[in-house]
Amino acid sequence: MSSNTAPVTAGRRSYRKARLALAATATAAGLLLSGCTTVNAPAGGTNAGSSGGGTDYLPDEAVRKIVNGREVKVGFAPPILSEFYTQVEKAAHNRMKEYEDRFGVKWTWERQGALNDAHSGTETLGIVQGYIARQFDAVFVCSAANASTMQTLYKQGSDQGIDFYQFNSTEELANPSQAEDPTGGLATVSNIGYDDRWQSGYLAGKYIAEQLKGQGSIIQIMGPSGSDWTKLRQQGFKKAIAEYPGMTIVGEADGGYVRDKGLTAAQDLLTKFPDVKAIYGENEDMALGASQAIDARGLKHWDGQSGIITIGADGLVSGMDSIKAGKLTATVDVNSAEMGTEMIDALFAHEFLNQEVNQFIRIPTGVVDKSNVDWHQGVLQNVLNGPGKY
Amino acid sequence: MSTTAATAPKKNSLVDRVGARLLVDPTLGVLALLILICLVSAFTLPVFLEPSNLYNLLNTSLVVMILAMGMTVVLISGGIDLSIGTTMALCAGVAATSMKFGLPLFAALIAALATGALVGIGNGLLITRLGLPDFIATLAMLGFASGILYIWTKGVPIIGYMVPEFYVIGGLTPLLASLTLPMIIALLVALVLGGVLGSTRLGTYFFAVGSSKTGAMQSGIRVDRIRTQAYIVSGLSAAVAGIIMAGRNTNVPADLGNGYEIQAIAAAVIGGAALSGGRGRILGAILGAITLAATVNLINLVGVPSSYQKIVIGAILILAVLANRISAIVSGIVRQRRALVLEGIPA
Repeated sequence: MSSNTAPVTAGRRSYRKARLALAATATAAGLLLSGCTTVNAPAGGTNAGSSGGGTDYLPDEAVRKIVNGREVKVGFAPPILSEFYTQVEKAAHNRMKEYEDRFGVKWTWERQGALNDAHSGTETLGIVQGYIARQFDAVFVCSAANASTMQTLYKQGSDQGIDFYQFNSTEELANPSQAEDPTGGLATVSNIGYDDRWQSGYLAGKYIAEQLKGQGSIIQIMGPSGSDWTKLRQQGFKKAIAEYPGMTIVGEADGGYVRDKGLTAAQDLLTKFPDVKAIYGENEDMALGASQAIDARGLKHWDGQSGIITIGADGLVSGMDSIKAGKLTATVDVNSAEMGTEMIDALFAHEFLNQEVNQFIRIPTGVVDKSNVDWHQGVLQNVLNGPGKY
Repeated sequence: MSTTAATAPKKNSLVDRVGARLLVDPTLGVLALLILICLVSAFTLPVFLEPSNLYNLLNTSLVVMILAMGMTVVLISGGIDLSIGTTMALCAGVAATSMKFGLPLFAALIAALATGALVGIGNGLLITRLGLPDFIATLAMLGFASGILYIWTKGVPIIGYMVPEFYVIGGLTPLLASLTLPMIIALLVALVLGGVLGSTRLGTYFFAVGSSKTGAMQSGIRVDRIRTQAYIVSGLSAAVAGIIMAGRNTNVPADLGNGYEIQAIAAAVIGGAALSGGRGRILGAILGAITLAATVNLINLVGVPSSYQKIVIGAILILAVLANRISAIVSGIVRQRRALVLEGIPA
């Protein structure tokens, strides 16, 4: 298991449960997870077969006894149905299949995502309320709704015995602290994701600055202004650029997180600032729209020496294809594969093994460009071709 | 493309005739607003009038323009099509998937057009056979079309269908010099729909049904059939826009059409179409779409923070409709004076 999921601080519900957990079970789970995790993780070099202990020594039967063929009903509520969340879900399914085959866990999985406005969060609220009403065992939520509204909802569901796990969310916006409160003030079992400021926006800014050796002008295509993801990524991106006095953000426009609007915004800004050296698209679709704008104007894509850099963030299969084709310079892979895997690991540790899981599980992220795209794309392809299907 | 009866003075010069025509044209308002935007921009932001920017602006406006033309026909006939955006996405999905499964380009385009027409027939039947209000029927169709696309794609954008011809269809590769295929398609749609509205019996029926369904029925017009035909026009325009969008976007996400119905309605209304039916112009829809695109373009060029963008767009919408209203009042006064002059009564 990666160090991220090691029990460090108790989650709200798990804190109580942990007292009841058997030491032997915890040890077994530790061994088990250290053998299982990072199968999909691009950052990790280990896998089940190669970890120090080896899977042969894991107490599978003991864990099977604990699981005892129990069924767990899981709700999955992404903010929208998209390529990214499909990747996350598929990684989760693959992990669930592993737990089913090995320990006899029975899963019921239901996915419901917002169809109209991912950034209002209203639809997600309704979906989560539906899961509560139908007495699901655990719910994975990623919502753009107001944090306090979500916390109220989580408390309401927790009182009825439902466990909530946030993923890919923006809890860092409120700077929750575990210094005195193990829950960090959040009514969730765990929050699985990355820090949008320093693990996404900042990385993109650093990459551009380093490629351009600290000199040049940038335009950026942002998400909707009300979006928490936008606020956080902007914070990180601007911090990185501020570290290089020779770099300037000359223009910015709203690309609505969609390709067509990203294309239009980039075309407009390229007309006004034809000499820019880089375009930062806050997500991959907008960056790909910007890439099309470069083509449409007959400008040159970055070749390592000259041209315009385009960088996005997500880590989509379609983005990897574009990096290979030289149409997208780079993207910040926020690791949908590891996110989905860690979500299920946290759920299993908490729901079945009564273990404490950390309130904040941070997955590794990184910049993908031509130099390492094969690796990242391979990981994603493995996930998408995986056997899990629920 | 005119649909408004104008009483032109006899034996005047061309300039006089054009001037007179403009004065009685209800689209004058939005045209004036557009010219005003261009003039203000020319002084404050010279890059706005650069050919490359105007070219971008025009290309960007084409999808909404085609949708707005279809929407105008529906509005004229007294309806409203809330499903036009999702129909566009569905048709884009049909075209993209057909290509992906190896169908020839021509067959893929026909499949997309047939889908658009089918959605239009569906809307028409829900309204005329089941008696559902237009708003509800097309809102339900929005749900159906969107749901089908989500179930079919599982929320994952359709990719891997782009062939060189699709780059041309989407306008990413110009056809000749700076001329793109979507420009030609939009022009053809405008000529056909303008011709239908201005010079055919069907066009007259659209106006008649939109002005008064009872009156049209009493005149022997088959109102249900005319209303269904208006929705077929709208469905086909959505299909054409969807095909272009599939080429322009290079992928088809399930939410591709979100919000386009509002843009189409806004462009049509800016162009002088009445939500109460019986009034509208294809030229108005074109100008309305360009006005919307010019507004977004200006916002991006000026660097208006995105929080204010919606306010600016809302303000432009109000201004455009007010400009049209003033234009209608002016043209009414001009017409009245002319009528008095022709009758020999001092104005």
